[in-house]
Amino acid sequence: MPAPAATYERVVYKNPSEYHYMKVCLEFQDCGVGLNAAQFKQLLISAVKDLFGEVDAALPLDILTYEEKTLSAILRICSSGLVKLWSSLTLLGSYKGKKCAFRVMQVSPFLLALSGNSRELVLD
Amino acid sequence: MVRFKHRYLLCELVSDDPRCRLSLDDRVLSSLVRDTIARVHGTFGAAACSIGFAVRYLNAYTGIVLLRCRKEFCQLVWSALPFITCLENKGHRYPCFFNTLHVGGTIRTCQKFLIQYNRRQLLILLQNCTDEGEREAIQKSVTRSCLLEEEEESGNG
Repeated sequence: MPAPAATYERVVYKNPSEYHYMKVCLEFQDCGVGLNAAQFKQLLISAVKDLFGEVDAALPLDILTYEEKTLSAILRICSSGLVKLWSSLTLLGSYKGKKCAFRVMQVSPFLLALSGNSRELVLD
Repeated sequence: MVRFKHRYLLCELVSDDPRCRLSLDDRVLSSLVRDTIARVHGTFGAAACSIGFAVRYLNAYTGIVLLRCRKEFCQLVWSALPFITCLENKGHRYPCFFNTLHVGGTIRTCQKFLIQYNRRQLLILLQNCTDEGEREAIQKSVTRSCLLEEEEESGNG
């Protein structure tokens, strides 16, 4: 007797995460410039608005953590807007007349991956 | 074959004020559309859409406008048209909006659509008109257009 056909189900996830998480740091040419969280978000949105217009400035962008001393933050953006956000951060040159630049340290579709960065690992 | 493909957007300018359509000029319209795209889609949108952008046909009496854009950026231009709310000319502001009637790949398809659309509009105008003199004038145009339609069909068939 032939064996009964085995049935199985295969589930393929093409893009498991709807959001992408970015760890960024803002560097100014001169020191002594401080921004609070609201000003930081306003800077991000104005960067996207300059390059991609009002439609893309309305993308759901969240700042998950923000440190005022080091001016670093973890951002969350939906996956379709990642390229637009990253390119507008690259092209942002100044804040209120002072030269600055965004350094993107880590990008991942999973938030857990941002908790450990092998580049910052210190070997004793 | 390698060539640049375009999309032709046939739009109608709708406005309450009758002076709005008469002050339409292709340079005024072109700058208005470009400014709106720059506001809605930013520097990227403005640069992408302005490469192949041109105003190909403009009728100040009916308010019909034919815009040309590159095929890849047709969506950007099309989505920016509803954000046009007023026309500014020589310090006068007229509120208006753009109604997109047809998107075609060539001017000829847009022209064919426009001829059929105008025929239907004439019939609608005939129903809505109140004045006797106007009614006669519209009836004459309708009969003339029907004759031309029959000629066209016999020429094609």
